[in-house]
Amino acid sequence: MSEEINPRAPEETGPIGYIVGGGLKANLQARLTVPAQHVQEGAFVVVESGGWLFYGLVTDLQLGATDPRFADEHSQARLSPPLAKLLHGQTLYTNLEIMAALMMEQGPEPDDPGYAAWFQQVMDEQIRPEPVKTVPQHHAEVRLARAGDIAEIFGTEGKAGFFRIGDTLEQGHPVCVNLDKLVQRSSGIFGATGTGKSFLTRVILAGLIKRDQTAVLIFDMHNEYGPDDTASDTGLRVPGLKGKFPAKVRMVGLGRGATIRGKSPDYHLEIAEADILPEDILMLSQELNLRETTPTTLEALRSSFQTDWFQAFKHMRVHAFVEDEEGKRVPAPDSVEAWATRAGVHPGAAEALHSKLRRLFNAPYIVEEPAGNALGQMIENLDHGQHIVLSFGKHESDLDYLFVSNLLTRRIRRVWEERTNDFRSGHQGAEEPRPLVIVVEEAHKLLNREMAAQTTFSTIAREMRKYYVTLLIIDQRPSQIYDEVMSQLGTRITGWLGDADDIQAVLTGLAGREALRGMLARLQPKEEVLMLGWGVPMPIVVHSRRYDDAFWEDLLGKPSKRSNQDILGELGY
Amino acid sequence: MSGIEIGRLLRSGTTGFVVGCRVNQLNAPSFGALVRVPLEAGYDVYGLIYDIHIEDDGLVRQLITAEDVPEEVLRDNRENRNVPVEIGVLALGYEKDNRIFHLLPPRPPLSLDTIYLCSPDEIVRFTGAGRFGYFRHLLRDRDKPVDELLAAHLMTARSAQAAAGNQAWFDAALHELIAILRDDYQGLMNLLGAAGEI
Repeated sequence: MSEEINPRAPEETGPIGYIVGGGLKANLQARLTVPAQHVQEGAFVVVESGGWLFYGLVTDLQLGATDPRFADEHSQARLSPPLAKLLHGQTLYTNLEIMAALMMEQGPEPDDPGYAAWFQQVMDEQIRPEPVKTVPQHHAEVRLARAGDIAEIFGTEGKAGFFRIGDTLEQGHPVCVNLDKLVQRSSGIFGATGTGKSFLTRVILAGLIKRDQTAVLIFDMHNEYGPDDTASDTGLRVPGLKGKFPAKVRMVGLGRGATIRGKSPDYHLEIAEADILPEDILMLSQELNLRETTPTTLEALRSSFQTDWFQAFKHMRVHAFVEDEEGKRVPAPDSVEAWATRAGVHPGAAEALHSKLRRLFNAPYIVEEPAGNALGQMIENLDHGQHIVLSFGKHESDLDYLFVSNLLTRRIRRVWEERTNDFRSGHQGAEEPRPLVIVVEEAHKLLNREMAAQTTFSTIAREMRKYYVTLLIIDQRPSQIYDEVMSQLGTRITGWLGDADDIQAVLTGLAGREALRGMLARLQPKEEVLMLGWGVPMPIVVHSRRYDDAFWEDLLGKPSKRSNQDILGELGY
Repeated sequence: MSGIEIGRLLRSGTTGFVVGCRVNQLNAPSFGALVRVPLEAGYDVYGLIYDIHIEDDGLVRQLITAEDVPEEVLRDNRENRNVPVEIGVLALGYEKDNRIFHLLPPRPPLSLDTIYLCSPDEIVRFTGAGRFGYFRHLLRDRDKPVDELLAAHLMTARSAQAAAGNQAWFDAALHELIAILRDDYQGLMNLLGAAGEI
């Protein structure tokens, strides 16, 4: 798309109907004057009235008749086809329900000398659509949005962070999302299994990486974002982000010697035992089925051993006894029971916790002395405009995912918080932190009602962009995510959802929920997504962009033969 | 303006009038035909024939009961009868200073005014003016056989309009009638049933 777009280009569609009723609270009603097949639920329409353009979304199509008997009776059998056609043309009709979202002054006509200046102001966002506050007149014409209308509302591809995420349903006009705005608040991508969430996420991540204004940290639980993959449904090769952005994306494997789909990562991440806080364990209460006594025991451990509590607890023996001077059988000094007795903790509770933490004690990626400072390197990479894909490799249990993602996020956020505070307090040499987006899959495991209060993720979601860190959460069960977190999500992009609770959750806190509810349940899986929320000017259904060779060609240009010098340059030499 | 004379006015009112004619004039007017009454220079009243009525008289009653009435007697009675054939006309509009109005005439024709059958050109002119406003006069009086009257009128007018090159007139007329009658299911279906016979 170019800047020469004329929003009222004559080659585009004419009226599809006219307004017959409705209001601001109830949606607008329009009488359709073209066959119903020309308009679909979710279509982006424009109503021209009194020098204003009203932008809205078709949320329903209803069949009607001036008298129910015209609909009931099969009059083709009684009348000749031309007469029946004339009769049906006037007595049977289809009404559109339009959820008006935005309005904008129409500006001068295209042949007016002031038109070019006005259009430039629109493109420069000096004139912006505003939320709809009035209604169009009766019989105002309704038409499908043209490419220029879409550009006025959703921006022009390639300009100032606008990235094409898909196309309108009827006419395939490009619909963009402002990536810079998208990352200003936490966002979510939702959809039932097999609705194309992962592909859509790849598309957005590729856009963010190409945009190069934000650092991205991806917790890649199923090893699907970094390395090349094979689509489970089509069997076709799916390029990974590492392959397409070799210089910008760093693959990090969890645990020493980890490989990701048979390939070595750029470096490995090991977690130092001293980095683990009792809070990290408490967050696993559900997963490890911890008792109510656990917080007391953990606090006692920290009091006894400070930062080394994990290591000390790990090396304690269980059911170890020795004989004392009197020949009496007592707990060995290095046993859990002995420590519990000394610390004033119930020995049974301490032993139970020790037993339940065994899965973590045995985790190979938790070590006393990590081989390198992988965490520091990750932060440095993120600082320098690189992006991290942390692949969990073979450690893809919920426990590994919850533990590692929460611990890392807590550490990284703390760094960003310190930097932000330094920057804001004007410390010499303190630079503005680079915005960071943390991508979390299976987000309901980290942000459910029970966990939300304990994890760093909910803090990030709540504080928006205060410390330059936001989330991009990907989930198939949004109803499992805590309401408070859901309501803080700026942009929501959702594919088909079948469950009523999930639909309800995605629409939490949004106007026009009732109208959008049915639309969500009828999205075409793998093809269509509904974008809504703070980050998009108005809700819209788009035919989502395909993650294929054409996408990469659009984004990166046609592949060209690189010189050795280029390759060495990308490798950092 | 000239045309086929079909009779003279017997009585009239604002919404319609009755024309009397001789039997030998009866081959010209027909049910649903458009007629014109020139009243003065530049002022004509238009109407539609909705009824053709033949009253009996004393002689007819006697002849009906007689046997072997000679043919010349029958013809004499028909051609020279004292009671005229009565033609009911529904007023549809008027023309003043070359402008057609689909409104009721300001004043009705006077007795013995001459009534003419409209020529195809006059039909085209009257039915093509405005947006079928005269339909409301037709549809107002449900005591008359409105469906049949409309069907007869549409058939005549379609033929005249088609001859003048206005092929779309008929569909436009039906379109308008459906719009007017779409809240009257039975009335509209009756009308379309009659129109289907055209």
